[in-house]
Amino acid sequence: MASTMKYVRVPPNSASLAEARQRVFEFFKTACRSIPSIMEIYTLDDVTSPSQLRSVISSEIRKNAHITNPKVIDMLLFKGTEELCNIVEHSKQRHHILGQYVLNREDRTHDIGNKDQGASDFLKSFYKSNY
Amino acid sequence: MASFTASSVSFSAVSCSFKQNKVSSLGKASLSFSGNGSPSRRLPALRFRVSCAAKPETVNKVVDIVRKQLALPADRDVSGESKFATLGADSLDTVEIVMGLEEEFGISVEEESAQSITTVQDAADLIEKLLEKK
Repeated sequence: MASTMKYVRVPPNSASLAEARQRVFEFFKTACRSIPSIMEIYTLDDVTSPSQLRSVISSEIRKNAHITNPKVIDMLLFKGTEELCNIVEHSKQRHHILGQYVLNREDRTHDIGNKDQGASDFLKSFYKSNY
Repeated sequence: MASFTASSVSFSAVSCSFKQNKVSSLGKASLSFSGNGSPSRRLPALRFRVSCAAKPETVNKVVDIVRKQLALPADRDVSGESKFATLGADSLDTVEIVMGLEEEFGISVEEESAQSITTVQDAADLIEKLLEKK
């Protein structure tokens, strides 16, 4: 499975938004189909399940669901494919996978509460991304 | 060519007799089986049988997976005819449900078949078809 992942390339340009959509679904399916081997490589059977990993992948895709430029979508797909290839060919380690995809998925955006009312927007989106 | 049709005729014979044990598709299974004359007539009968035969427990499993995926409350009615879009699933949700079904039933759905799934019943029928092919 790892060797077949190496040849999954994103061809240069999507002609339209519809084609980019199709590419996103292809990518999602490829990722879901490689979940069993990922769970085996990093022995994630105790900490998570395939359906949880699937929902993590879909939430990552949904974070960028508002993008309408096909070229930006292509770029995001390229980065996603690169990340997936790195994971599948065991270039990462277990603590990377756990920290990025398994643990602490819930409490990133709900910890605002009442105590951060005066905080700036920079701090509020600190956990979400750099920008 | 003749041997291929002969083998597939025997396959449909086996599965038709199996289906005759199920109450839901009793009449229709016997209908399609009796239509087995020439190979050209067999094919429409085969398709007719597949379109109506989805076991209730398969449909229930699909409903469970859909419910869990879309986080629907228990009072929201999910039946065979409910479309994914009306249940509040966008296209990525639909793909995710299909992947969940792939994992649950150990099947592999191709692209064209996955595009055509709009209701729960479609998904259950496709699963049945793929399970029979295995």
